[in-house]
Amino acid sequence: MSFLKAFKYKRKESAVHRLDPRPKFLLAVVLMAVSIVFTDIRVLLTLLAGQLILLFLAKTLREWVSSLKGLLFFFAIIFATQIFFGGTLFTGFILSLRLLVLSSSMSWFFLSSTPEDIGRAMGAAGLPLELTFSFIMAIRFIPVIYDEFQSIYDAQRSRGLELEKGGFRKRVRNLMPILIPLLVGTIRRTYEIADAMEVRAFGASPKRTSYKSLKLKRGDYLLILFSILLVSILIYLKLLGVE
Amino acid sequence: MVEIVVENLYFKYPEASDYVLKNINLRIGEGESVAILGENGAGKTTLAKNLNGLLKPVEGSVKIDGVDTRSLSVAKMARRIGFVNHNPEHQFFAETVEDEVRFGLRNFGFPEEEIERSVQEALGSFGLEEYRRKNPFQLSGGEKKRLAIASIMVWHPEALIIDEPTIGMDYAQRLNIQGILRNLVSENRSIIVITHDVDFAANICRRAIVLSRGEIIGDGVLRKLLSDRELVERASLKKPFLVELEEELGLSGLEENFDGLSSILTRFFQKCRS
Repeated sequence: MSFLKAFKYKRKESAVHRLDPRPKFLLAVVLMAVSIVFTDIRVLLTLLAGQLILLFLAKTLREWVSSLKGLLFFFAIIFATQIFFGGTLFTGFILSLRLLVLSSSMSWFFLSSTPEDIGRAMGAAGLPLELTFSFIMAIRFIPVIYDEFQSIYDAQRSRGLELEKGGFRKRVRNLMPILIPLLVGTIRRTYEIADAMEVRAFGASPKRTSYKSLKLKRGDYLLILFSILLVSILIYLKLLGVE
Repeated sequence: MVEIVVENLYFKYPEASDYVLKNINLRIGEGESVAILGENGAGKTTLAKNLNGLLKPVEGSVKIDGVDTRSLSVAKMARRIGFVNHNPEHQFFAETVEDEVRFGLRNFGFPEEEIERSVQEALGSFGLEEYRRKNPFQLSGGEKKRLAIASIMVWHPEALIIDEPTIGMDYAQRLNIQGILRNLVSENRSIIVITHDVDFAANICRRAIVLSRGEIIGDGVLRKLLSDRELVERASLKKPFLVELEEELGLSGLEENFDGLSSILTRFFQKCRS
């Protein structure tokens, strides 16, 4: 679950934090799309290097690094499935790198944008309030779910559960005593929050106003231009036959 | 039976800058009943998790019968020191109550015959027999807590740490849990109760360790300790009813023994007669 740390907003004083969430989201989507379309190791490594620069500028490199431990489990699954279905270690490496680039594309965005700003950006894009609010709540609850996971994990370890013990199948089976209480708790909390919101008249007024509105500045326009330039270069590379 | 010795313990969570526990020194001997008291965020649960190896000290040491917890796995420690989480639902995942009780025994590799015998015994002693085929999530708050304790006590650990046992409980459920814990104390098991509920603690534990901002500000006989107004205020606690009663009745020199309401009244009547 430590990989969730990569998606938790971290309050920092940085140029990346000050950017409008909309151009940041645009760049994040572009980076994600590129990591899905390309499998060339040079492209993926270049993307990763770019993301590391962004994370460094946002002063969130440490949070990103500490979240990597959680991704190791997914890398292990990728390698295991590759070996099981006749792939090679190299394809396992490429797919793992792709997953890393894919998750990092969103990681720097979430680490440097407040859930409120993301909500405002979604509202500005014309998305309904219910959807925007659900999304913000989901982001806000990442640390809560992480804490709950830790508490459940401790409770089960206190009953002799050892996640690190046994083969791959046993380890996956061992996750059940953690995932079931986590899922039940999350579903229950969802209902409780829905009730709490309803009793406070959520959605009673069809049109809501916001006291803070988003405004694009020079740095934001530069980021949009950079995203367009990046897409153009990558389309050109695709036309040249780079995979 | 088990002896826990904590020496110069300092603990902080990864990535945190401040220590949650600072310079903790204590010894919990066999058969002791200890309440860990303190305000929210004082470090009570963190201390408890250090005592059973879920967390390892950053500095200093926690030793179980002379063995440093750093060299022991949580599973090995859990076999001797049971830990009941403050939220019983955090451990439920099985379809039935009996499967929930069985879980720990299976993890520890008990033989099947012994598992069945122990499950039967635990369901009986914790009054859960009639719910054995019920889903744990469908039980009431008190039943859930009983199940959580039963699913730990089923392998008879030498010590039990129980986090916030009375949270969200009505009076009858509270009395029930109190009875269970007092039975365990009478069996000479070490009991460590983490709670805000000083009245509950006063009914079960002889000794209290009072924490404030990660440091021990009091360690001694619970009733004596909690008659100290300054300490009680510093730890955002309240005096237990029995301590207040003893003071109101003028029973000076608070008894170190484990008095209930009846023995306090007996002492009061003896005092009146004399």
